[in-house]
Amino acid sequence: MSVVARTLIALMLVAPQAVAQDARLSERLDKPTLIAVSAIVDSARVAKLPTAPLVDKALEGAAKGSDGQKIVVAVRQLSVQMGSAKRVLGSSATPDEIKAAATALAAGVSLRDLARLRSASGKRPLTMPLAVLTDLIVRDVPVGTATGLVVQLARSGVKDPELALFQRNVRADIDRGADPSVAATTRARGLVLRSTGSGTKPSE
Amino acid sequence: MRDETEEDIEQIARELRVPVAVGRSLDARIMNAVRNLPRHTGFGLWSRLITPRTVTVTPLVWGIMAAAVAAFAVLGAMHAGQDLHRAAKPIASALFPAPKAADRSQRVQFVLVAPDAKKVAVVGDFNGWDASHVGYQAQHRGGGVWSVTAPVPLGHHRYSFVVDDSVWVADPTAPRVTDYDYGMPNSAIVVQEQK
Repeated sequence: MSVVARTLIALMLVAPQAVAQDARLSERLDKPTLIAVSAIVDSARVAKLPTAPLVDKALEGAAKGSDGQKIVVAVRQLSVQMGSAKRVLGSSATPDEIKAAATALAAGVSLRDLARLRSASGKRPLTMPLAVLTDLIVRDVPVGTATGLVVQLARSGVKDPELALFQRNVRADIDRGADPSVAATTRARGLVLRSTGSGTKPSE
Repeated sequence: MRDETEEDIEQIARELRVPVAVGRSLDARIMNAVRNLPRHTGFGLWSRLITPRTVTVTPLVWGIMAAAVAAFAVLGAMHAGQDLHRAAKPIASALFPAPKAADRSQRVQFVLVAPDAKKVAVVGDFNGWDASHVGYQAQHRGGGVWSVTAPVPLGHHRYSFVVDDSVWVADPTAPRVTDYDYGMPNSAIVVQEQK
């Protein structure tokens, strides 16, 4: 039996399962892309990674009119990042934490810093701190500075609503023309002082 | 006199020492009689427990029993609240399992200022990135302000505005994400349970 014939048989066996995974994928992706994406999703499922973010990533690509190759690359990259994130965060990490951590890794956060943040947060959920960290980096706060600030805020026990307010304040400062790094550092220092009441300064 | 008496006793003893002749069918008859006795239908302890009987209790024992019941009642009342709550929680969870985070949602208001727009929709992980989704079409509120309030499942989501079916705009008020895979910006939202 030729290689082509074997491949076709393998595809025929895989394709129905792939289509059964998510009807939205089969509606919006062409056949080769659907098969490739479904294979990545299946692998993620076997690795006990959340699969919904991968499906969403593919749907996003389709909605934005990206070609199949770009979609497959994006989905595969997200899968790899989620795998790395899960290894660092541990098996108790929630799908949202893994998803947010993968986004942070894509923004440039290192695995070591991810582990630092996990350690600093204790058992508190990491989703909001990771979303704020990613936002700071996107707004041109240097990765090292942003990571140090968010780790310090987590270590100080700053709660999610305060973190969300911190993000809004930094954004407003930057929108008004402030230097991103200075804005983030200043706002974080104020938040830590308020939270601990001990005058602890965030690391810079 | 004495010798005569001893002789009599010895004679009686000899008579008694003679083995009694037992019929060969005796064993069979005894076993038949045993088999015909009424059988016990339950365990011995259970039979004793359910068989009515008269129990005599002294006033002292009554007093001790009443004191024990009162002590249990007081201790039970002291811990009832928390213990009952603790005990009831897993039972309630088993009977009425809490929906997963993805099944629960909060209503979120999305606002975009787009004075020149003809149409604004919200797309994201929560609606399959479907710009035609009916529940996520923003309404023009006047003055270039577009908004829609829609349910978003608990959790971390990426989303964007689509203006006039062609222009992708990140939410200027929300955290951003580095989604450069497809060359268009996205925002992030973390929806949490309201306490």
